[in-house]
Amino acid sequence: MKLLKEIQSKAFKRAEKYEKEYLDQEQKLVELKQKALKEGSFYREPEPKLAFIIRIRGIVGVPPKPRKILQLLRLRRIYSGVFIRLNKSSLRMLHFIDPYVTWGYPDVETVRALIYKRGHARVNHQRKIIDSNEMIYDKLQKYDIVCMEDLVHEIYTVGKNFKHANSFLWAFKLKPPVGGFSTVKKSFVNKGEHGNREQYINTLVKKMI
Amino acid sequence: MTTQQLRPIVSVFPIKGKVKTIKQVPLPSVFSAPIRPDVVRFVHTNMAKNNRQAHAVSTTAGEQTSATSWGTGRAVARIPRVKGSGTGRSGQAAFGNMCRGGRMYAPKKVWRKWHRKINTNQKRYAVCSAIAATAVTPLVMSRGHRVNKLPELPLVVSDQLQSLTKTRQAVKFLKFIGAYRDVEKVIRTKKTRVGQGKYRNRRHVLRKGPMVVYARNLGIKKAFRNIPGVETASVYTLNLLKLAPGSQMGRFIIWTESAFKLLEDIYGSWEKPSKFKSGFYLPRPVMVNTDVERIIKSDQVQTVLRNRRPRSRKYGKKIQRADPYEDMSVMLKLNPYYKTKLQKQKELEEKNKEERKEIVDKSRKEYEDWLYFSEEEEEEEEEGSDEDREIEVLSDEN
Repeated sequence: MKLLKEIQSKAFKRAEKYEKEYLDQEQKLVELKQKALKEGSFYREPEPKLAFIIRIRGIVGVPPKPRKILQLLRLRRIYSGVFIRLNKSSLRMLHFIDPYVTWGYPDVETVRALIYKRGHARVNHQRKIIDSNEMIYDKLQKYDIVCMEDLVHEIYTVGKNFKHANSFLWAFKLKPPVGGFSTVKKSFVNKGEHGNREQYINTLVKKMI
Repeated sequence: MTTQQLRPIVSVFPIKGKVKTIKQVPLPSVFSAPIRPDVVRFVHTNMAKNNRQAHAVSTTAGEQTSATSWGTGRAVARIPRVKGSGTGRSGQAAFGNMCRGGRMYAPKKVWRKWHRKINTNQKRYAVCSAIAATAVTPLVMSRGHRVNKLPELPLVVSDQLQSLTKTRQAVKFLKFIGAYRDVEKVIRTKKTRVGQGKYRNRRHVLRKGPMVVYARNLGIKKAFRNIPGVETASVYTLNLLKLAPGSQMGRFIIWTESAFKLLEDIYGSWEKPSKFKSGFYLPRPVMVNTDVERIIKSDQVQTVLRNRRPRSRKYGKKIQRADPYEDMSVMLKLNPYYKTKLQKQKELEEKNKEERKEIVDKSRKEYEDWLYFSEEEEEEEEEGSDEDREIEVLSDEN
């Protein structure tokens, strides 16, 4: 009981801190862009560090290499989703599984919605819905993640303990999108659905969550 | 023995005059025999096969040709073909079940097993069940008999019925006792048979009406013979096919008093064997007391039960949780800051709204000022231009 109170008070303070942090980040981005415009140059935004991948093809007829990569990424069934840190290695992996997934760069609200609404934790090899900050505290306390907002922050900003935060989360099981797909066989760039869709992943997740 | 509509005493009614009890007789034990629709169905389906007549296809049908196969190499199927020429029949396929005019597949034989043996005890079990069912009003009604106006079920009537000789008397009795509605139903629903039976001497189909069971035939058989739907039977030879037509229990039976009493002797009870069926006792039900709930709740059972084991939550009882975006209490449990956040957002929105309003008002005012000011300027400019033109004209003339 006392522990829960401590956790909740910490959660309150940290949530406040993070809100401010996200707002500041946004504003900073806008300022830098405006500054660059004034100077007549361009502001090159930092490349995204976080991607959310959704598997949009079933399990039938997948060749061995993409199959293995999908397994490694925990995308074992259709409409399952995971967060992934973007670096050269993971980008290469994504390249191989492009026809079977759609991915993009989620914003804070998307990350939040996923973890709050569809966030399940891996506890004792079981998939359990996160219904209290105590669950998070028990597992991730040693990484200084004690509440939902901590988890969201760690994932969104791809912090030092992203790996642990991400593996704490079970792969997200999403619903088929409201309104459907156009054609999964084509890439997003070609008016289809698979592959990198950058910021449009956010609208898709809203339809699937 | 079963807890059904037990009527230990049954009234006997007269055949004319007033419908009131003239006597009371005890209910024979048969009526408490277990009602087993599964047994009745089994026995009925097999018993119904016993009045079949053999039929078969002629042994020579389709075989009365000397057809031989032409073999291979003639660009035709290898089926035997009729020999000879000069007729359309020559060269046609023969013998096969697929051929026109050929013999059928597996021609029916007369020595097919038409009849079925049923164990005697099973037959008797079924009859006991069927008789018991005739006393259960819901079953009789669900069979389709019109029994609303009857004074009682089972319907027992004085022995004078057995001495009736005229059909008119029989009809009068049926009307008197309230059984004629069932007969009316039969008359009303007489129809031509559906199917080919209609031109095979089975033209009409009738429903089943009441069955009159007697002990001695002193004319009753002939009296009821011509009434559509009504059947008579001697109590010594009750037929399952009549007691449960179509294996549906609950025939409407009118018993004569002596027939009713004889049931106790014919079918016996659980203590006394039947006098007519050697060694036969009434069948015992699987459960004597079928009120399972009462049995479980009784003291005798409850005192012997072990304690209820506590429910273990170890194995995955799914903890359901509402959607935090719909249920604020769930959201606050996960993120206690959420409410404050919403408040702050609201304040920010309103502040922005006000700021925005100021800016918009200011710029609108500026625009209107500019508009007004520029109108004045335009008017001045117009006047000036007219004067200039006038001066030039004057100078040209000079």
